[in-house]
Amino acid sequence: MSMREWITHLIKLLFPPQVLLPDIVGIDIGLTVGAIAIMVYLTVRHRWGWLWREWLTTVDHKKIGIMYLIAALVMLFRGGVDALMIRTQLIGPRAHFMGAQQYDEVFTTHGTVMIFFMAMPMVFALFNAAVPLMIGARDVAFPRLNAISFWIFAFGAILLNISFSIGGSPSAGWMSYPPYSELAYNPGVGENYFLLSLQVAGIGTIATGINFLVTVLRMRAPGMSLSKMPIFAWSALITSSLVLFAFPPLTVALGLTMLDRLFGASFFTVAHQGMPMMYVNLFWIFGHPEVYILIMPAFGIFSEVVPVFSRKALFGYEAMVGSLLAISFLSYGVWVHHFFEMGAGPGVNVFFGLSTMLIAIPTGVKMFNWLFTMWGGRIRLTVPMLWQLAFIPTFVVGGATGVMLAAVPADYQYHNSYFMIAHFHNVIVGGTVFGVLSGMYYWWPKMFGWKLNQRQATWAFAFFVAGFWVTFMPQYFLGLEGMTRRMATYPAGLGWTSLNWWSTMGSYLMAVGFLIMVYNIIWSRLHPDWDTTGDPWDGRTLEWSLPSPAPEYNFARIPHVRSRDEWWAMKREGRTDDVKISADSVQPIHVPRNSAMPIMLAAAFFVGSIGMVFSWFWMAILGGLGVVAALAYGSFADYSELTIDAAHVLKTEAAMGRVDS
Amino acid sequence: MDGEEQIDTAPTGHGDEVEVGFLAPRIHAAPFPGMQITGYVLSMALTLAAFGLVAYHWLPLSSLVTVILVLAFIQAALQLGIFMHLREARGTAWHLPVLALALFVGLGIVGFSIWIMLFKSGVS
Amino acid sequence: MSTTTADRPPEFQDMHESIRIMGFWIFLSTDVGLFSSLFAVYAVFRSRVALGPTPHQLFAMGPVLTETLILLTSSFTCSLSLYSARMNRLRGAVAWLIVTLLLGASFVTLEIREFVADVTAGHGWSHSAFLSGFFTLVGTHGSHVTIGIVWAVMLALQLAMKGLTVTNRRKLYTFALYWHFLDIVWIFLFSVVYLSGMA
Repeated sequence: MSMREWITHLIKLLFPPQVLLPDIVGIDIGLTVGAIAIMVYLTVRHRWGWLWREWLTTVDHKKIGIMYLIAALVMLFRGGVDALMIRTQLIGPRAHFMGAQQYDEVFTTHGTVMIFFMAMPMVFALFNAAVPLMIGARDVAFPRLNAISFWIFAFGAILLNISFSIGGSPSAGWMSYPPYSELAYNPGVGENYFLLSLQVAGIGTIATGINFLVTVLRMRAPGMSLSKMPIFAWSALITSSLVLFAFPPLTVALGLTMLDRLFGASFFTVAHQGMPMMYVNLFWIFGHPEVYILIMPAFGIFSEVVPVFSRKALFGYEAMVGSLLAISFLSYGVWVHHFFEMGAGPGVNVFFGLSTMLIAIPTGVKMFNWLFTMWGGRIRLTVPMLWQLAFIPTFVVGGATGVMLAAVPADYQYHNSYFMIAHFHNVIVGGTVFGVLSGMYYWWPKMFGWKLNQRQATWAFAFFVAGFWVTFMPQYFLGLEGMTRRMATYPAGLGWTSLNWWSTMGSYLMAVGFLIMVYNIIWSRLHPDWDTTGDPWDGRTLEWSLPSPAPEYNFARIPHVRSRDEWWAMKREGRTDDVKISADSVQPIHVPRNSAMPIMLAAAFFVGSIGMVFSWFWMAILGGLGVVAALAYGSFADYSELTIDAAHVLKTEAAMGRVDS
Repeated sequence: MDGEEQIDTAPTGHGDEVEVGFLAPRIHAAPFPGMQITGYVLSMALTLAAFGLVAYHWLPLSSLVTVILVLAFIQAALQLGIFMHLREARGTAWHLPVLALALFVGLGIVGFSIWIMLFKSGVS
Repeated sequence: MSTTTADRPPEFQDMHESIRIMGFWIFLSTDVGLFSSLFAVYAVFRSRVALGPTPHQLFAMGPVLTETLILLTSSFTCSLSLYSARMNRLRGAVAWLIVTLLLGASFVTLEIREFVADVTAGHGWSHSAFLSGFFTLVGTHGSHVTIGIVWAVMLALQLAMKGLTVTNRRKLYTFALYWHFLDIVWIFLFSVVYLSGMA
């Protein structure tokens, strides 16, 4: 027996064929025990009040950022377990780790969770954590709306995640195309869960888009003109503008499917001259800008990380901004490349194929800008920088295969094969996930006040990146050899066996990387390496001029910005005392008050959604009335601000040595 | 982008400067609601004109839809300009470029969707 | 042309309120995306009538013109409400707001009657893709108007309770934006759906 066969055999022994029920019951019991344990802990330690005051009702963007981050990491775990189940199923031919129905459910939740409930909140976590600080603002433009966004997203995520234990998981893929997503072919409530959870989370996402667009445009510190903004703030601005126009078509696509399923409309059923292809069209009007919503922030993060760890100003700032704008503009006009095979005709296909290829140009510009920033710089191989170095080759491969897929005639071969699977994992994992992980390690000290252990983090990085390449490179070849996506199993003798085996091994390596990352976080929390300077990386932008973590009002005095990389300029010109306040100049600061309204509103959405999922319309109406009541309460109650008096500000700042004597 | 020169002129922050010249705000102020009445009369006239075109078949069908759409856009512009105080803002009127983008994307969604869903396939 | 602080109406003199007004404009632009998608669906499904009625058979001129004129008038009264607020006339602002919401309510009533008549005539939305698209597009606008009415009721209450505070002026301003925006959407509905359908 060869080594490979032996490992496959071992995996099959460890994970025998399952029927659906027992593992779900096991997870249900585990979750219940976990929930009870948390409640007991909170009660015994008398932490309920703390939880309510400090977290559940907070409107502070820094805390909301932390909550987004925690949610995203939990969802990364959930989606990752789904991925491992998929890869384990495919470890060898005729594997029956799962049945076909369960396999469908697992890849559906994998995709949905990873895109909507892992990548999006991770991006929003970093926006919340960094953007207001780097533009010199005391908060986002609409702090309470920010909390509403988070809670609506969180309840949407809960809605999707309870589906497998209450009522059944969705199984129509993350794109959920009709007619398979229609009632006739997909009875049960699983698909309803999908529709409602994305609908609810989508409302929160649109609100976040509005919030950060206005924040970046209106909340900048004096002197920070657009041309002096850090690139991450630019990417937040452009991402938000994409969110504004990408999510409404998704709302419509999901809404119409829901009307078909629950109320007997005829949009996507062929019987009454409906057209399933219209769903596909609407979905990708959303779907393509969505992938740029995911990648733009990563571009922004790398544009912060590279200059800091090369000790050089960013090469080609204007070209960076210009290429971001160009990509976002082009991204509105490429969506048909997801369905060239639909038969819209050569004119349509050629137009969208060309517009897709054009995107490679501004993206290439960005690649060269990062490389030229590093060129001749003094590079420090810190963990954020390692992620960015791994990103460059990964994303280039992903981008190049993307151009291959954009060639219309060739796409008839690649479409929905593992080639395409490998391509989009290359750009979404290699781009977005590497990017947000780089950003997480970069801003972690600013968010929490302590640093993550670099050695462990490097090991996590090594396993994750190596595992990534081992997982996805074989999939390109699997695709070229004809393996299509969403196959629950495959026969022997097609030449797929060994490539699949390697791909599965790679996914296990990534899992090891993730486990080390979790260990790294827990270990570093237990042995904290406090960041006392507030500037652990010798940073360039304004967030590093603040203590870590920043006080609730962020800036005791709002800086007057004179140059790009203002904090770097302050350090070079010996102006770092500018951030200090003096006893006679300190002013009281107004901050928004905590509010219970956001979580109440989100809970009402949740109740209403459950009602819709199970077609209990009395409950849906109850939830709707709850939403109106929460909004009315929020409108009638005076939304007053809390005033932090000058003495308190002075005391807080003095404790951090930031008062001029 | 100007703004570079304004650093030392005690900016108030929060985007109070006009960062892009043509996005300067303009406040509506008039002692008598003449603007509103004009807008109302015009919108009524445009609506009735469009209705008349259809009801009395004043135009051939081919050009009718185009004319109706043009009238609709004129009326939308009236609503925006007169009733919605389009250029009122503080600092830079940042909502104008966003609205322009909305118009661009909105027309794109409708136009492209119609084009795509015509299925004028030659060879596929 | 730049404006000095003194020229600004109160809702723009307060920094936070001016930022909220901008945020509301951005929200409206997302609604443009929503309605564009629905218009796209309607445009594609317009001729897909299956065994149901064609647009020409379904639409009746009279009630639609009445609805349009009512909504245009409500847009005018809404602008008068904002105008009164700018002139610091609380009673006028509230009165015109109430006229606006009453006109809105009569618009919604007429629309519901039209829908009920269609359904009782056997033209429910499950009969064709065209009917689904029509009811959803017009219904989405109608539900927006209904939300606007609920909003106007609450706003009138707040104006009566607290008077023309800066916050209430901003709320009135954003409500007016919302209401006029719905009027614009209706103009396109009227032109694209009804007039082109009857032509």
